[in-house]
Amino acid sequence: MAASGIELRGVAYAMAGKAILSDIDLHLTEARIGIVGRNGSGKTSLMRVMAGLVAPSVGTVLVAGQDPARNRKAMLTEVGILFQNPDHQILFPTVGEELAFGLTQMGQTDKEARAQARHLLAEVDRAHWEGAATHTLSQGQRQYLCLLSILAMQPATLLLDEPFAALDLPSQARLRRRLAGLAQQIITISHDPAAVVGADRVIWLDGGRVVQDGPPDHVLGVFTDEMARIGGLDADADLSG
Amino acid sequence: MLTLTSPVRIWAHSLSAWVKLGAICVFTLALMQLEGGWLAGAVALVLALAASGGRVFFAQWLKMLRPLWPFVALVALWQVWLGAPWATFPIIARLGAAVGLANAVTMTTELAEILALLTRLARPLARLGLKPQVLALCVALVIRFVPVMLLRYAQIALAFRARSPRRPGWRILMPVLLATLDDADRVAEALRARGGAG
Amino acid sequence: MERNLTHIALFAALIAVLGLIPKIDLISGVPITAQSLGIMLCGTVLGAKRGFLAVVLFVVLVAAGLPLLSGGRGGIGLFVGPSAGYLIGFPVAAFVAGFVVERWQVRVGVAALAGAVLGGIVVLYAFGIPGMALTLGKSLPEAALLATPFLAGDVIKAVLAALVTQAIAQARPGALLSRG
Ligand SMILES: Nc1ncnc2c1ncn2[C@@H]1O[C@H](COP(=O)(O)OP(=O)(O)OP(=O)(O)O)[C@@H](O)[C@H]1O
Ligand SMILES: [Mg+2]
Repeated sequence: MAASGIELRGVAYAMAGKAILSDIDLHLTEARIGIVGRNGSGKTSLMRVMAGLVAPSVGTVLVAGQDPARNRKAMLTEVGILFQNPDHQILFPTVGEELAFGLTQMGQTDKEARAQARHLLAEVDRAHWEGAATHTLSQGQRQYLCLLSILAMQPATLLLDEPFAALDLPSQARLRRRLAGLAQQIITISHDPAAVVGADRVIWLDGGRVVQDGPPDHVLGVFTDEMARIGGLDADADLSG
Repeated sequence: MLTLTSPVRIWAHSLSAWVKLGAICVFTLALMQLEGGWLAGAVALVLALAASGGRVFFAQWLKMLRPLWPFVALVALWQVWLGAPWATFPIIARLGAAVGLANAVTMTTELAEILALLTRLARPLARLGLKPQVLALCVALVIRFVPVMLLRYAQIALAFRARSPRRPGWRILMPVLLATLDDADRVAEALRARGGAG
Repeated sequence: MERNLTHIALFAALIAVLGLIPKIDLISGVPITAQSLGIMLCGTVLGAKRGFLAVVLFVVLVAAGLPLLSGGRGGIGLFVGPSAGYLIGFPVAAFVAGFVVERWQVRVGVAALAGAVLGGIVVLYAFGIPGMALTLGKSLPEAALLATPFLAGDVIKAVLAALVTQAIAQARPGALLSRG
């Protein structure tokens, strides 16, 4: 996994003059990494910077030794991103087209891509989805489709933004099993400590800074206590962030 | 999404889209010149073509002509007022025959076939930087986002009603438009995440 | 690149949505279809080139047979019928509206009003009226007379387009590509 590590050196990110991320120094090589933090703490922004969807205002980002914001084509096989909201990820009217798109982007012909998409759907007992209109799927089903589309591209690292938020309990368990079986590096972002319990390393983000970084037992312990403490307070004066 | 293609398959489906579009052009131009018996013949021809598709086809074909009624009424009133009511017939005959034939072509040509034809026609534009894949991607995005945005509109209207006794009216335009702009930014990002627009 | 493309595609979808939603009640029950408002907004918000392309995309899909025109209409029949001139004029209208907003560097709202009137009314009617004259067998003045009842509604839409464009300039300055 070392070759596919993600490295951030002195990274800061600002939007519309407002600092969103500051002083981020991370070298992510572990197979399973969790990133936790409250709403608005900058988790999604960190993911966008790591994946090269936006360039940092200050500092360097390296994915497998390359700048992800510049080398988009190379990143297709390096990072796959599951967006927090599936409606912002799905580009095509039907399931088959959505799955095939990533594959054609990687150089397959339309025909090959469609055939592989059919094959992938059949593998997960969803063959009947191929011609289905994406907007008729439920939120959880749409998210599952998004996951299938990025898995189809077999990236070295998966960045998952709140992957469990829209899923019912059986689907969560199934997704957990599916993810556990994958060889890829997986970085899971969540506000919920339960989502990252089994990770090798957990990073706690607050106000756009890393406040804790280490083994899950320790970090999640402190995180949970702090969340319980804040939850106990009446006024949520700090939410404005 | 709903399309305007015929619910039943008829013989004209197997004709090439190029032939059908060519027929519309020739026929429409010819109609401008036709008078009297010839014009009546052209109308009869279009009716016969539509009827050859069977009852279901013909019923939908008639339905698609409905938006023309206001114009028929308008022209008729106008001609009566001018004191030449008979002149209504050739005008409406030309209009009805042209629109009728074109509608029949729309009904018997699959969307994919027309899009393939358009991509073909747009090929010379590749030199100006418009790649055919880009056109196809744009078309897919529109078809994907029309239902998404309709749903969003309905949600915003509901949210408005939940908090206001007034009907949303034009006030709803602003949130709908802002949502569109934000969506465009996020979709651009999703596209970038999967290798961009080529 | 991606950003231009998605703005063009989503605004083409917006024009369709504005034509498909239940009619907007303007002032005390004067219903308007918002579709031509969508055309104006493509120009005033996206600018001349992107606005033009968004509307071309919309018109192409209508021609291809998607029922995206108000009232669920679509198909090639529209291009040989009385509204043919308007459909062909739509992209040009958006271009002119966008051109005015881009080049006339006064307050956004003022430029947008001028652009919407010039593009969405003057230019659009210049295409629409000959189209009606041709398909309905009328002279140009007669066809112009047929178009006048719609003028009041279109003026209101131009004002709305200007207000909305101005509001976007305040709410999301970065999103107003016509002034980007
Ligand atoms: N487009 C934007 N313009 C300005 N500020 C933004 C924008 N998007 C997000 N922010 C700000 O950036 C900060 C971090 O946002 P981000 O989406 O990364 O949080 P998050 O940790 O993913 O939150 P959540 O758990 O709610 O998803 C927030 O304070 C938010 O207000
Ligand atoms: Mg987030």
